[in-house]
Amino acid sequence: MSYVIRKRIMSVITSIILIVALLIVFFPYFWTLLASFKNEAAINHPLDFNFTPTLVSWQAVVSAGIPRQALNSLIVGLVTVGISLAAGSLAAFAFSRFNVGGNPARFLVLLAQMLPPSVLIVPLFLIVYHTKLIGSIWAAVISHLTYILPLVTWFLIGFFDDVPRELEEAARVDGCNDWQALFKIVLPAVRPGLGAAGLFAFVLSWNDMFYALLLTSGDQRTLPVGIAGYWTFRGVEMGQMSAAIILAIVPMIILSFFVQRFLLRGLGGGAIKG
Amino acid sequence: MSRLHIPFKYQLLIPMVVILVGVMIFPLAYSFLLSLQDYQFTKIGQQKFIGVENYITLFSNKSYWTAMRNTIVFVIVAVALEVVLGFCLALLLHNKATFLRGFFRSTLLSPMFITPIAVGLMFRFLLNSQLGVIPIALKSIGIQVDWFGPRQALFSIALIDVWQWTPFMLLLLLAGLESLPEEPFEAARVDGAEGWKMVRYITLPLMRPIILAATVIRMLDAFKVYEYVYAITRGGPGDATETIQYNIYRVGFIYFRAGEASAMSYTLIVVITIMVIALFYVLRGEAQSR
Repeated sequence: MSYVIRKRIMSVITSIILIVALLIVFFPYFWTLLASFKNEAAINHPLDFNFTPTLVSWQAVVSAGIPRQALNSLIVGLVTVGISLAAGSLAAFAFSRFNVGGNPARFLVLLAQMLPPSVLIVPLFLIVYHTKLIGSIWAAVISHLTYILPLVTWFLIGFFDDVPRELEEAARVDGCNDWQALFKIVLPAVRPGLGAAGLFAFVLSWNDMFYALLLTSGDQRTLPVGIAGYWTFRGVEMGQMSAAIILAIVPMIILSFFVQRFLLRGLGGGAIKG
Repeated sequence: MSRLHIPFKYQLLIPMVVILVGVMIFPLAYSFLLSLQDYQFTKIGQQKFIGVENYITLFSNKSYWTAMRNTIVFVIVAVALEVVLGFCLALLLHNKATFLRGFFRSTLLSPMFITPIAVGLMFRFLLNSQLGVIPIALKSIGIQVDWFGPRQALFSIALIDVWQWTPFMLLLLLAGLESLPEEPFEAARVDGAEGWKMVRYITLPLMRPIILAATVIRMLDAFKVYEYVYAITRGGPGDATETIQYNIYRVGFIYFRAGEASAMSYTLIVVITIMVIALFYVLRGEAQSR
């Protein structure tokens, strides 16, 4: 077989594998979207494609708790990310520029971000119980800070490593003090990193169910908790559940296109000194 | 002014340290105290100190060990499949000749960005024996699989994890491939190596530290499996899918035994810390070799 023909065959096989992978990834989305336009009878006959699309499920979802839960998730995400970016960027700068605490400190940040939520849930539950925050979205914010703040800090170290020191020194020659140099020169230079860290952290906060399930309740529940409520031992609302799932995942898939490019710089590179 | 002067580099850390002490260090210390008490959520204010008894009873607690075993089986099956599939896909997407490379790359990554509870519920729906499209389609060609039966359930949950997290593996490994030096490949090409041989003798050895790091990161995350179990099986049938995070949730928030749940979580911290130490050394080795 000639080299050219073999290359052709290889590229056809590659395309087939990738298309199959794409179908596997997209089929669940597609099926869920389809189910959100079906009535109950049509859902019970999955292979019968001859059904009349209906907006009943979408109307039910939009007029139920879902918009409120989405708003709760949005507030929790924005507050958590805001606090994490403010505190995390300062800390990441300290780790990057001054190597404060050396590798042990970086290890602790990594460990903090990896701790399973089941480890912290019992004490957090009691703390928000005694501080009367139990059931409110602020309990979710507190619990999300436990993994988002270390993650944002870890994420930003690599971006600060990329800022040339000369920039700061030039600022200092111009009469800036340490804080002014940081705010006027260094932070603007890591803006893409701050944006990517913020978006990624927002996705992780939006997606949490474990903490939110146990710490929020009533009209303070977040979106993932609301979704889980559609399929319980008490009853199933398949069409509405499908519509709610679509509402929860589509914004995150759209956000992901903006984060992907920066994700690697943040997750691995430059975070540990040799 | 006689104010205490804190150097700039420590000032920078104050906000993070204050927050983490509040939301993490204090809760961890509190949790350790709880683990030494007979503390129940139903009787807040009536706890009594019992020393290490919670830890000792763990050894004879069958459901704890079942959960540990299930979690380890789950992690090994899921992560092994994710590494293999992720590596193959990364090789295909790394090839510059691949058609629509950028498109495939960004769309294949999407599952890792969506909430696991939605993933769990979507697959519960797809694989449901009465109204799921996959079992019904399989049945029409004569194949019958009880996806969430006692023998299959843990494996099905692992496959769901593979669906959601192979993209993450792909992302890490693809970045790894892109960071490799060109020279070894050039040299091997001159020597006549190509295709599988190139992968086996050049790519794999060079990628070893990256694959190792990616594996440990995924294992740490897979240890936290909870949402799929919550969405689909709630630990059942029997205890076939009882995982450690779900078991802690059950003991703490269904049986209300906060002290015992705290003791369980402390044993989990030990396991996680060992894995993070391993990860740290792998990452550091990589940083040094660069």
